[in-house]
Amino acid sequence: MNRLLSRESRAPLLFGLLAGGLLAALLLRLNPLDLWAGTAGWELAGKILGGAFRPALDYEAATVPEGAAPLWLKILGAAGRTLLFAIAALSLGAVLGVPLAVLGSESAWRGWPVWLGRLVRPPVRLFQAALRSVHELLWAVLFLAAFGLSDLTAVLALAIPYAGILSKIYGEVLDETPVASQRALLALGGNRLQAFTLGLLPRALPDLVSYTFYRLECAVRASAVLGFVGISTLGLYLRQSFENGHYREVWSYLYALLLLVFLLDLWSSTLRRRLK
Amino acid sequence: MPNSSTADPAFVLDGVGVSFASTRALKQVGLTIGTGEAVALVGPSGSGKTTLLRLLNGMLRADQGSVHSLGEEVGVVNTRRLRELRARIAFIPQDRGLVPNLSVVQNVLLGRVGRRSLLGALRDMMLPPKPEEEAIHALLERVGLPEKIFDRVDTLSGGQKQRVALARALYQDPRAILADEPVSSLDPARARDLVGLLLEVAREGGLTLVTSIHQLDLALEFFPRVVGLRGGKIVFDGPPSALGEKETASLYDLSQQEMGKE
Repeated sequence: MNRLLSRESRAPLLFGLLAGGLLAALLLRLNPLDLWAGTAGWELAGKILGGAFRPALDYEAATVPEGAAPLWLKILGAAGRTLLFAIAALSLGAVLGVPLAVLGSESAWRGWPVWLGRLVRPPVRLFQAALRSVHELLWAVLFLAAFGLSDLTAVLALAIPYAGILSKIYGEVLDETPVASQRALLALGGNRLQAFTLGLLPRALPDLVSYTFYRLECAVRASAVLGFVGISTLGLYLRQSFENGHYREVWSYLYALLLLVFLLDLWSSTLRRRLK
Repeated sequence: MPNSSTADPAFVLDGVGVSFASTRALKQVGLTIGTGEAVALVGPSGSGKTTLLRLLNGMLRADQGSVHSLGEEVGVVNTRRLRELRARIAFIPQDRGLVPNLSVVQNVLLGRVGRRSLLGALRDMMLPPKPEEEAIHALLERVGLPEKIFDRVDTLSGGQKQRVALARALYQDPRAILADEPVSSLDPARARDLVGLLLEVAREGGLTLVTSIHQLDLALEFFPRVVGLRGGKIVFDGPPSALGEKETASLYDLSQQEMGKE
């Protein structure tokens, strides 16, 4: 990282990035004029964007079914479920990710015969990569086709790529943790498992927890998006309102998501500061 | 050589050689350290002091010769016996090897890890048993840090951390203490205090003490036996009174120093 950003390599790196961006744009035949919508398009865009300034406080539909909850309660419930799905998926991802991270890390194999780590780590790391190479939305679509989408399969669809991402980052955190205390425990007669668990893990724990909370924000966004394939998170109602042309309601849901992510960020950053 | 001919020596090195890649760290080292002796290893950086210490508890294996520690031949024992041996030899590394975000009492508890199961040690660290906590409090009192028992280690000063490392070593209930540059990061007054403390607790417990130390004045003032290393060879072994100006000069003279390269 540092070598990559050294003074001498900065200019070629920047140039390379720019050139790559231009090349990609040319290959995709990106045309700035595509942003110029037709008259009807402008009207629609205006309607949609206009909603941003006056989000709906009540249903926009002319008739609302008897006994329907008020809009704000519906939004609150959806936001709550969005958070719950995210927490459930992240927890499951972390539980699956920790053992994968340990097996795939360098630090856990310290003190073991070298060939053993070389034997175990590559397949584990390949498995981690496989887990995170498929996006949660694709998992959800797959599950939808195979089992029909239930809340459980939605959590699984989210948890699988998160297990892959968390295990990769957890492994990196473990390997960046100073080895002094792990070595010291080996020197005073601890076995390899004790040296890792009591010498290295406590030291890495604040960073592991901190990163997990950092990821909660992403999980909330992903959980909201999964609403588009049918689970009852913010995305579901956002899509329904959109399809009914209730653009002011769309903005109400978007603002709810924004507020949720903002509050989570506030909470998790205080928490992370305290973990330091 | 004082005490070195004791019936049961703590450490015996015989014709020991160690190489790292193309560098010879130790050459033909022979050394006997009697039980209860206090020995300072002195010499310039890279002379092999740390290498010698790491041989004594089997963190490193000799390429040539044999190393006996507390009656065991370190190079040939199996993993379990080696761990039992290490549990009886406290090793204080130069970086101290404490877990900075754990409390003092939790770090000291780790001293007995070699005799505990993983789960037992984990439980003790979450909820230190009362008798253990009292024992640790007494040890911290001995090393002059009783009021810090529940403080996080990363809130302590360098000297205080060194005292925690010493308390952890003592909690291990060892037969010997190996300390690698225990005072290298301390100011002269604190370094002096700590070396004094190290020798006191070793004497009280009848423990063999082997310390590498680059402050020659402290070695000469406190230790009854000083072993000088240069370029991986022992060039001096005796009481401080026998280390004259000539020997000191040759020990540290850069123009004469063999860097140990093959």
